[in-house]
Amino acid sequence: MSAELSQKGLVLTTANLSAGYDGRAIVSEIAVEATPGKVVSIVGPNGSGKSTLLKSLVGVVRVLEGTVSVGDQDVTNLPPEEIAKIGVGYVPQIDDVFPPLSVKENLEIGGYLLNRKEIPDRIDTVLDVFPKLKNMLTRKAGKLSGGERKMLAMGRVLMLSPSVLVLDEPTANLAPMVATQLLEEYIRGFADHGSTVLLVEQRAKAALRISDWTYVLGGGRVVLSGAPKDLEQNPLFVESFLGGGARH
Amino acid sequence: MPSAYAFYLATVLVYGAVDAMACLALNFEFGFAGVSNFGFIIFQSIGAYAAAVLSMPAAATSNGGFQSYVLGWNLPWPLPWIGAALAGGLLALPFVFLVGKRLRGDFAAVGLLVSAVLLNVLVKNYVPLFNGDAGISIVPAPFQSIWNPQALGYQFAYGAAAIVLTVGVYFWLKRITESPYGRSLRAMRDNDIVADSLGKNLRLQRTVALVVGGMVAALSGAILVGFISLWAPGAWGYAETIVLFAAIILGGAGNHKGAILGALLVPLTFEEVTRFIPPLANPALVPALQWVAIGLLIILFLWFRPNGILPERRRILSAKASTENVPVPKDGDSDALIKLGNLDELNFRELLRLGEVANDQRVILSTQGLTKSFHGVTVVSDVSIAVHQGRVTGLIGPNGAGKSTTLAMLAGTLPSTSGQIFFEGRDISGLASNQRANLGLVRTFQLASEFKKLTVLENLVSAIPNQSGDSFWGAMRGRRFWGSEDKQNIERAMELLGGFGLEQYADAYAGGLSGGQRRLVEIMRALLAEPKVLLLDEPMAGVHPNLAHKIGDQLTRLAEGGMTILMVEHELSIMDAFCDPVIVLAEGKVLAQGTMAELRANSDVVEAYLVG
Amino acid sequence: MSSFGFGLITAAVLAIATVGFTMQFAVTNVLNLAYGSVMINSAFVSYYLNIHGVAPWFSLIGGVVTGSVVSWALNRFIFTPFQRRNLAPITVVIVALGVDLCGTFGLQAIVGGGYVSFRQSPGTEFHILGMYLSGLQLIILGICVVVLGLVHWLLKYTRLGKAMRATSANPNLARNSGVKVQSVISTTWLISGALCGLAGTVLAMNTGVFEATSAQLYIVLLLAAMFLGGPGEPYGAMFGALTIGLATEVSAAYISPQYKEVIAFVVLLGMLTFRPYGIFGSEKTL
Repeated sequence: MSAELSQKGLVLTTANLSAGYDGRAIVSEIAVEATPGKVVSIVGPNGSGKSTLLKSLVGVVRVLEGTVSVGDQDVTNLPPEEIAKIGVGYVPQIDDVFPPLSVKENLEIGGYLLNRKEIPDRIDTVLDVFPKLKNMLTRKAGKLSGGERKMLAMGRVLMLSPSVLVLDEPTANLAPMVATQLLEEYIRGFADHGSTVLLVEQRAKAALRISDWTYVLGGGRVVLSGAPKDLEQNPLFVESFLGGGARH
Repeated sequence: MPSAYAFYLATVLVYGAVDAMACLALNFEFGFAGVSNFGFIIFQSIGAYAAAVLSMPAAATSNGGFQSYVLGWNLPWPLPWIGAALAGGLLALPFVFLVGKRLRGDFAAVGLLVSAVLLNVLVKNYVPLFNGDAGISIVPAPFQSIWNPQALGYQFAYGAAAIVLTVGVYFWLKRITESPYGRSLRAMRDNDIVADSLGKNLRLQRTVALVVGGMVAALSGAILVGFISLWAPGAWGYAETIVLFAAIILGGAGNHKGAILGALLVPLTFEEVTRFIPPLANPALVPALQWVAIGLLIILFLWFRPNGILPERRRILSAKASTENVPVPKDGDSDALIKLGNLDELNFRELLRLGEVANDQRVILSTQGLTKSFHGVTVVSDVSIAVHQGRVTGLIGPNGAGKSTTLAMLAGTLPSTSGQIFFEGRDISGLASNQRANLGLVRTFQLASEFKKLTVLENLVSAIPNQSGDSFWGAMRGRRFWGSEDKQNIERAMELLGGFGLEQYADAYAGGLSGGQRRLVEIMRALLAEPKVLLLDEPMAGVHPNLAHKIGDQLTRLAEGGMTILMVEHELSIMDAFCDPVIVLAEGKVLAQGTMAELRANSDVVEAYLVG
Repeated sequence: MSSFGFGLITAAVLAIATVGFTMQFAVTNVLNLAYGSVMINSAFVSYYLNIHGVAPWFSLIGGVVTGSVVSWALNRFIFTPFQRRNLAPITVVIVALGVDLCGTFGLQAIVGGGYVSFRQSPGTEFHILGMYLSGLQLIILGICVVVLGLVHWLLKYTRLGKAMRATSANPNLARNSGVKVQSVISTTWLISGALCGLAGTVLAMNTGVFEATSAQLYIVLLLAAMFLGGPGEPYGAMFGALTIGLATEVSAAYISPQYKEVIAFVVLLGMLTFRPYGIFGSEKTL
């Protein structure tokens, strides 16, 4: 994988973050930090607010209280276009590609903010990461299989050489082997090359395997956090998933 | 009074009545039933033509045969007017395809608009039908052989008759809209998918709306043509419908008096005001400015006062004093304070009319190879589950496992790609969702699904099945027929509301409640639908755990009484406490089944939840 | 065969109009029933330039600019504010009807009800492959083909065009990719408005005599073409326009010319009833 794939990462932090829809907070008092070269994962049972948290970092859900910073810039409630400009690449869980556009065009939109001349080279670079896409450049994105689609979704984001990668359940609906490859090869690889990676994952154990730090969400709050090997030994960890996560 | 003014007054009476009648009809369709009939004018028009060709002698032999038209049966009054109303009703039938379940409201409306244009073109060009562009003239006035239609007395009598008929229409339509059937129409207007899931037949209801509206519109056309003796395509361009929409928007959609007010303010005033403007250099100026004014009225009112001058009335059903201004608590933590009432004391069997159900734990709902694919992506794959009567069964699984999709296929709101569904031993795979609801398979929805412009009490009562007033003919028979049954239904709903501690909100609009309260209303509404099997889609989402557990207790009680409940949930503590068995879906397939304790010990399940 | 020639012209102009209309639907999800009034107003602006001495093809530019600016303003000041209020789509359509009335009859109030025509000669008649086309019509045909080609180039090969297609497919993802979706939507209305103005003006030129309400019924042909090809699909719109344009003119040779538009009606009602997502679309695209 090329070293120019991503820029040197930036630190993403939140402080006392509350976010939600229509003025109702779904997550409260969240403090997370993601640093360059590391994979930080957020796990937790359904309904714990993981997805909402992620969306509030990239301007899709409103931040009600607290702040989000990337590098030394306050990005709280900036519109998504601005967040992209700063170098935060977001891969949503669903609706992650432009179905009527071809694979190549999807990548081109990914490179929307780039100088026109740079785009072809960037596309080549991204295709080196996902060589399977090379044969499907003219195929419409809506016709791809689940795994191919997710690769394209990530490729789109990589076009911008993002300094921070934010991924919402990237392995959802993927076959286990594809999911494992996605996590261990690609996502871990991005961090190893210097990016900051923050992901929300359903498959908690798989996420732990590639993470440097993990936050466990429950009932809209951080209930546990730590290095994966410590968390795995913590009896509270399993309980927070299958033993009724909400604690008030 | 000088004669000219007297004649003028008679004219105003007739036009006013005709406009009011037309607006009442359109308001019934749009304001009450939510059917946007952009082609409305053709219904008034068919009435005028029908009345004309039914009352005139055969075309070839009358007045030298200079007009050509069909029929010409020379019928005496009131037969032409009755025929006109029938024609209006019949004309509605072909349009039922456009207003069925699946087409977007604005697309259907455009289809109706285009139909109006098409019919105008056809009538204009196909002369043998209604004499083409020249229209039909010398239409006889009722009783013209014994009473001179030019006489002032006749014209006043005509005006009076028109008003009487309009008043009659007002009471007739009111009879429908203030009945349980009217409630169902308004529910369909507010949220058609949910109304469908509670057993309402959308296609039939929309057909009734169009037929009734069409009959009244046609009658108004018959009245008009009897007075002015002439009807031509120029009188019923598609834009005339827009004038009537402007009238309703101004006057107040969903309010009969608003429709009448709108009729007097818009079509009547516009027409009459222009009579008094002196002729200008540019003769096209005044009518053109009229249209501009109509357009401006529409835009301004929809921006500043979309509910009109006389907005839709709140229906106070409870026997208590007006409770319109009960403060609603803010969302969030206040849900923790929701104090349920005497829920434990309620006799569910009687209250919800659940009947004597032998709780024999037989399989009451099952699927065989149920599959759903969207464009090559299989979301649910070969799912075969069996749900036992009298138990609360849980359905859990990671995000994207296909739980909600499965529930939607069971309820019929989503068609399956393949596989079968059996309910009480019968294959229901081909049944529509409202039919399944009528059999006793009722679902709730994850997102807000209350009928916003109905009160809480109306929301609840609308779900009760087999109401004698919840059909067109039932409504026609009047309050004497369905009144006492409705009263009992309201009392039952109030008792249930009291049980859940929400009786003070009985007459509040359902849309104004907090999240947790709305959730309770939805559950109550589903219970009143007399379900044999209740499909709950994440009922506790966003609900405070204390409240969730209280609800869970009641679900257990219901199950003990024989109701079957299938619940999709994330909150695993709920599953622990109330569900047995629990079915685990992962990646669209059934992974395991058992009690939560058993599942926790099942390594596959743990993997699925933690690893995938 | 001569009706085939008329059909080509009709189809070409209809294609321009429909592509503009469908673009507006694609990015804003609103059926802009005021489109016809913008068309005719553009035609009249062009006409007024023409009778004040401007050569017809330059006054055409006046029509194009009018269509562009008015459409942009319509979206900025009417549709966007109303849509922010989360009203039912039908309400916005009723607003569009209101605007259509204001636009069409406001024009009529100003210019009067009489028929007018451009000061231009139809040019020599050309006899090609059995079709009789005037010089004027050939120029119109040429303009339309060139413009459609430009639209194709815009959508397929330019950054803006891809941004437009991305915005209509998935506006949130477009935003996350850095696309200024609001600007793209505004620009789409400028461009589709230009198409609207162009179509209105050449339609008026081709029809010969026209007045303020001449474009009122055009919306039916337009809707038929759009729904045939699939709502929101520019290439579908071109296909639909070609089909409807040819079908209406060719049918006029076989059934009475007064009924030639009936085919468009029937197609539209049929598509709405059975396949509202168009011939090439599927349930998901709607």
